[in-house]
Amino acid sequence: MAEMKSMFREVLPKQDIGQLSVEDVTTMVLCKPKLLPLKSLTLEKLEKMQQAAQDTIRQQEMAEKEQ
Amino acid sequence: AAMGPDMEPLLLAWSYFRRRKFQLCADLCTQMLEKSPYDQAAWILKARALTEMVYIDEIDVDQEGIAEMILDENAIAQVPRPGTSLKLPVTNQTGGPSQAIRPITQAGRPITGFLRPSTQSGRPGTMEQAIRTPRTAYTARPITSSGRFVRMGTASMLTSPDGPFINLSRLNLTKYSQKPKLAKALFEYIFHHENDIKTALDLAALSTEHSQYKDWWWKVQIGKCYYRLGMYREAEKQFKSALKQQEMVDTFLYLAKVYISLDQPVTALTLYKQGLDKFPGEVTLLCGIARIYEEMNNIPSATEYYKEVLKQDNTHVEAIACIGSNHFYSDQPEVALRFYRRLLQMGVYNCQLFNNLGLCCFYAQQYDMTLTSFERALSLAENEEETADVWYNLGHVAVGIGDTNLAHQCFRLALVNNNHHAEAYNNLAVLEMRKGHVEQARALLQTASSLAPHMYEPHFNFATVSDKIGDLQRSYVAAQKSEAAFPDHVDTQHLIKQLKQHFAML
Repeated sequence: MAEMKSMFREVLPKQDIGQLSVEDVTTMVLCKPKLLPLKSLTLEKLEKMQQAAQDTIRQQEMAEKEQ
Repeated sequence: AAMGPDMEPLLLAWSYFRRRKFQLCADLCTQMLEKSPYDQAAWILKARALTEMVYIDEIDVDQEGIAEMILDENAIAQVPRPGTSLKLPVTNQTGGPSQAIRPITQAGRPITGFLRPSTQSGRPGTMEQAIRTPRTAYTARPITSSGRFVRMGTASMLTSPDGPFINLSRLNLTKYSQKPKLAKALFEYIFHHENDIKTALDLAALSTEHSQYKDWWWKVQIGKCYYRLGMYREAEKQFKSALKQQEMVDTFLYLAKVYISLDQPVTALTLYKQGLDKFPGEVTLLCGIARIYEEMNNIPSATEYYKEVLKQDNTHVEAIACIGSNHFYSDQPEVALRFYRRLLQMGVYNCQLFNNLGLCCFYAQQYDMTLTSFERALSLAENEEETADVWYNLGHVAVGIGDTNLAHQCFRLALVNNNHHAEAYNNLAVLEMRKGHVEQARALLQTASSLAPHMYEPHFNFATVSDKIGDLQRSYVAAQKSEAAFPDHVDTQHLIKQLKQHFAML
């Protein structure tokens, strides 16, 4: 092990000593990608029922206008 | 159908009912009732068929209107201790992914993997927030919760031109409460189909009296009525009394719902655990615990319980979706991909799933599947909001491969489909800024921050841009908004510190 150590010598740069970090430049952030939540069966049924109800109302209103 | 005319009509109607052909069943019953108006069997069968058509599991239904939320006087403590309330967005103490990685909802919770009626848009914290929230299809909530039910009730009546099937005001409730079998079906008809909670409550009260308070079923129904009327303490009493008589999973779930409405998540958790002692491994109870932990922003515990759910039922969509999204947002897209692929195998086939598969594939470096998944998602989208979200995510893929033109087009398309897509406005602003279009970027960011004041990104970006062009005052205001939305954001803190130094030098 001692031989191995002597084979490699550390190298320290003569100039710019101590520059271990770079100052952080603030960059703008993107909003993150959005996984879409899956819908529960109840929610799907609710939405379908509401859609159907709205369609019926719209149809009836159309029919009333035509008369 | 060939056998139809020869069959005894009541038997045929009954058979339709059992095969869930409720419209046919109801029509046949109507014919029978025209011939003999006092046929009780046909009458009650029709009521049951009509109920089944609009039946929604009451445990899942929980949409609070603005009025209920803001004028809520049931909460015990106005300023609850951290960890004991669902109302304050808990700061991230439990090691879940930070806001910088996982987007949050308007209520300040991380977005969930699964959407139920009650998770639809979260509670806004203040009146101002509730009213100022853009009323898009996603976030619009009724002024009062009964609004939605009234609308559905009238709609079901619209479909029958001769007026309602049963005229509730002319019903002799005392007479029906003497006949328990009729009364139960009639109650469900009044509750689910007519949404006339007051009449339903009257019938239930008479019936429970008739059963000498020995039937737990009626107590649960009275509790359901009280709950819908917003009388949570009375509902609690009924459910507790029902549980004393007969322990049922449903009753535990209803009671827990009461506690959640009273903003007592810890009591609800204890109750679920009591339920689990009686019904070990019951999936709905386990799932209830997981949901509360998730709402309280305790993601590790939520995941633990969702995993417990999957041990009992390995096809539970909610658990798979929630665990999947947790993995995605904790930097393990390849694990998330396996969960979403499992859903695909199970036969879930919709826009949301393919969008998630596309994202997971991209971030797990399975590029061959990415674009095809997104194409499929686009073709399966049911409304413009869904299309907008898919284009928005495609924009991220474009940013990821460095194609800014494509990204620009994707975010634009997201906005074409949904004019309220705040995230797309923000990302578009970042792209504009890279091109050096400062004024356009600022305008986009202002739109984004007014659409979604709960997101920190537009505030922070606006602060950064303003700082660069020397508008320190605006920068400081925006940075403070950003800090309010995301207190732990290091860059915001730096910016504020810098600005304070500037101001001190003046």
